[in-house]
Amino acid sequence: MTTEIKSPTFPESVADGTIANWVKKEGDSVKQDEVIAEIETDKVVLEVVAPFDGVVSKVLKPAGETVLSAELIAEFRKEDINQASAVPKNEIVAEPEKEQGLEINHELKDSSNKNGPAVKKLLKEHDLNESDISGSGKNGRITKSDIVNHLDVPVSKDQEKSMSPSVKIASSSDERLEERVPMSRLRSTIANRLLTVKQETAMLTTFNEVDLKPIKDLRAKYGNEFEEEHGVKLGFMGFFVLAAVQALKKFPVVNASIDGTDIVYHGYQDIGVAVSTDRGLVVPVIRDAGNLRIADVEKSILDYSDKARHGKLSISEMQGGTFTISNGGVFGSLLSTPILNAPQTAILGMHTIQDRPVAIDGEIVIRPMMYLALSYDHRLLDGKEAVSFLIAIKDQLESPEKLLLNL
Amino acid sequence: MFDVIVIGSGPAGYVAAIRASQLGLKTACIEKSSSNSKPQLGGTCLNIGCIPSKALLDSSHRYADALNHLSDHGIKVTKPKIDISQMMDRKNKIVSQLTSGVAGLLKVNKVSQITGSAKIIDSNNVEVTNEEKTELFKTKNIIIATGSMPIDIPVAKVDNKNIVDSTGALEFKSVPKTLGVIGAGIIGLELGSVWSRLGSKVTILEAMDDFLPMADSKVSDDVFKEFNKQGLNINLGCKVTAAISNEKKVTVNFEKNGNQSELTFDKLIVAVGRKPYTNNLFDESCGLSVDHNGFISVNDFCETQIKNIWAVGDVVRGPMLAHKASEEGIMVAERIAGNQVEMEYDIVPSVIYTHPEVAWVGKNEKELKDVGVEFKTGSFPFAASGRALATGESTGFVKVIADKRTDTILGVHAFGPAAADIVQQGVVAMEFGASAEDLGLTIFSHPTVSEALHEAALAVNQQAIHIGNSKK
Repeated sequence: MTTEIKSPTFPESVADGTIANWVKKEGDSVKQDEVIAEIETDKVVLEVVAPFDGVVSKVLKPAGETVLSAELIAEFRKEDINQASAVPKNEIVAEPEKEQGLEINHELKDSSNKNGPAVKKLLKEHDLNESDISGSGKNGRITKSDIVNHLDVPVSKDQEKSMSPSVKIASSSDERLEERVPMSRLRSTIANRLLTVKQETAMLTTFNEVDLKPIKDLRAKYGNEFEEEHGVKLGFMGFFVLAAVQALKKFPVVNASIDGTDIVYHGYQDIGVAVSTDRGLVVPVIRDAGNLRIADVEKSILDYSDKARHGKLSISEMQGGTFTISNGGVFGSLLSTPILNAPQTAILGMHTIQDRPVAIDGEIVIRPMMYLALSYDHRLLDGKEAVSFLIAIKDQLESPEKLLLNL
Repeated sequence: MFDVIVIGSGPAGYVAAIRASQLGLKTACIEKSSSNSKPQLGGTCLNIGCIPSKALLDSSHRYADALNHLSDHGIKVTKPKIDISQMMDRKNKIVSQLTSGVAGLLKVNKVSQITGSAKIIDSNNVEVTNEEKTELFKTKNIIIATGSMPIDIPVAKVDNKNIVDSTGALEFKSVPKTLGVIGAGIIGLELGSVWSRLGSKVTILEAMDDFLPMADSKVSDDVFKEFNKQGLNINLGCKVTAAISNEKKVTVNFEKNGNQSELTFDKLIVAVGRKPYTNNLFDESCGLSVDHNGFISVNDFCETQIKNIWAVGDVVRGPMLAHKASEEGIMVAERIAGNQVEMEYDIVPSVIYTHPEVAWVGKNEKELKDVGVEFKTGSFPFAASGRALATGESTGFVKVIADKRTDTILGVHAFGPAAADIVQQGVVAMEFGASAEDLGLTIFSHPTVSEALHEAALAVNQQAIHIGNSKK
C-alpha cells in the first residue's frame, strides 16, 4: 500500500522550508526511522524519516523546492524489505490511513493562502520567507511593492539574473569566470536579520580589555580536577557566561528588549552563544543561565556545539535569548564590533587572548589580555550603563572569586 | 439626549445615521426638504442628482439606440417617438421609490426622523424649526451633512423658465430644439448628452481652455473627439458675459480669444459646478466657520475645529461624489463609536455616465509627472476586445498606470463600455495594494469588456496577448 510522506509540522514562527536534499532516491529501500530527506528552514535543518520499512515510490517535491508545514512531499510504499517478521504491521497501517484523510485539509490550506498572485510568484522565485517581509497592505498583507522593496533590486538586467534560481556562469572573452548561486535559506535569513538590525536599531560599540591571568591560573590549578569531577573541560566560556549573568542581574536594562514603545524586562537570563557551523552562524540559547554552575554551562555549550555542527539543533533550542556572547577569538580576531541579535539590547564580543605588556602597579608586566566589545542599542541603553556593564564583566573575570561571592 | 444628530439625509447623512444606529448610538436625522408634508429624504443624489439623471440618461440612450443603432443589428424600427411626460413619470417613480426606501431604512434602523431646518447652537444643542414649531434637541455629537447646491453666476441668473440649473434640466416639459450648456464638466456633459440624444441641438460653452483637466489627458482628448462626434459641440475657452432671457429664447453672449459672439437657444443649462450648502446652519456663537470657498474645514477624519462636531460629504473638501460622502459618513459614525476607521482618499473613483462612460481612479500621468514619480503605463483599446466588438461598443480604451519600480497600480483610467465597472475592479485591486502583475495574473471571464483591464495591466509589463506591446 502507498502512504504519503509529509514535511514535518513547522513551528508557528517558520513559514516554510526548502528541500535541502533527498537522502534516498525514488525506488530506494529504507528502514523505519531512516532519514529520507532533509528540509532546510531559516532556522534549522529538519529530517524526514521513514514511517516504517518500505520504498520511496515517488518524489513529489524535488530538492530546492519550497514546502509548507505538513505538505505532501513524497509517496511511500510499505514493503517488508528484510522479509522479517510482519508482526507489527497491523498496528502501523492504521497510522498512514489517518494521514491520508488529512489530504483535504492540506488542499484547503493552500487555497486559503492570502497572498496575491504576484506576491506568491515572487516569494517562490526569490525563495523568500513570508515572515521576513513586513506587509504594508490591509491587515498587514504583503504587496508586490513590499517584496520589491525588500529585495531592493532596481529594475534592470541584474534583476533578471538574480531572479533565476539556477547557477549561472557568465564567461567574458578573457575567460574570467563568475559563478552565481542562490543563497541558502540560512544565509539569506542571516543576511536579512543582520541588515534589519543595522537599519532598525541605534547600535554602537564600547570596548574594554580584560586580564585573563587569574582565570588561566584557576584553570591550571583546578583544570584536571574539574574534568574528573564533571566530565567536561574547564574552558573560558563558563566564566564569561557567569560573569555576564552577574552583570545582567546588576543592570537589568541590558537584559531587556524593546517591543514597540514598551520596554520588556526579562526576569531570567537566557544567554545565546554564537556557534559557527558549515552552513552559517547559529545561536543556541543557554536557558536560565542565572541558576547554573560553571560545569552546567560548559556542558551545555559542548552539547550545543556538537548538535550545531551536525545540524541537529532544534528550533526551540535557538528561540528566545536575552543576551548573546559571540567569540570571534576562536578564529583569531583581535577586535570586532558584533551585531546585535534582535530584539536583544546588547551583545558581548570575545576576542583572541594575546600576551601583551601592560602596566600594573607601575610595573610593565606581560599578561594574557583579551579585548572585550559590547555592542548595544543606544535607544535603550545609555553610554554610562553600557560602559559600567562591560566593566562589571571585566572586574569579575579579573577577580573570579567575585563570581563565587556574587559581587 | 441623542448620541448623534445628523443634519441632512443625503448619501452622507442617511448612511452615517444608519451606521451610527447600527453601532448602538441613539441617532436622529434632520431633513428640511419636504413634499406633501412628508420629509423628502435622499438629498441631491436621489432627488435631483445621480438617480434622476441616470434615469433620463438610460431613457435617452434607448431612444438614440432605436433611432440610430438598432438598424445596424438588422432590426427595423419605424421612427420612434418620444413621450416626454411618460419619460419624466418613470424617472419620478424611481426617485420616489428610492426616497421612500431611505425612509424605510431609517425606520428599520431605529433612526429618529426630524423634519425642519437645523441650526447648531453649540456642540450639544441643535435647534430645529419647521412650520409648526421650533424645538431644541440635545446631543453628544453632531454630523453636518448638508451637502451642496449649484453655483449661480450673475451673468446667467437661473430663472427656471429658460435658464435652468441641473435641477431644472431634469424637468423640461418638451425637448428644446436648441440647448446651450454653460460648463463642460461632469454634470454639463451628462445633461447635454440626455437632451442631445432626444433631439436637441446642443452647444456647450466651457470657460477653461482644458477639457476635463482632472482626467488623464489621453482620456480627455479621446472623450472630447467622441462627444463632438456625438453632436455635443463642445467649445473651450468661451467666457459667458451675459445671458438674456425673453419669453421664448435665451441669448448668450460670450467671449473667446477676445472676440465677442452671440448664440440664441431655446433653453440654457448653467452647470458650472456646485458649492457647499451651509445657509443659516450655525448660530454665530457656536464657533464653527467656513473657509473662503464655503467649505467647513475638517481633518482626514472629518473632525471640525470643534470637538464632537463632524462634517461629511459635499460640505467638506474633496470631490463632490455620493460614494465619497457615504464613506465619510460611515467613517465618522464608526469613529464616534470608538472604532479606528480611516478613509483612503487617494482611491476615490470618479465616473461620467455618458455613453460611452468615462471613469478613473488614482493618479493620472500629469499628476505623477508633477510630483516626479516614475511610472509605466499599459493601454488596451476596446477595438481589440471581442466582446466590445460583438456589442458594437468598441470606442475607447483602458489604461493602467503603475509605479516603475514596484509595479504598484497608481491609476486606472477608462473610456468605453462599462468603464465605471471596469475602473471599480481597479479600485478593489488598489485598496489591496495590488501590482499590475497581480491583475495580469488574475483570471478574467471571456468574453467580457473587463478583459480590457486585464490586457492593459499585462501591457504595463509588455505582456499583453491581444495587442502588440510597445518596446521600452
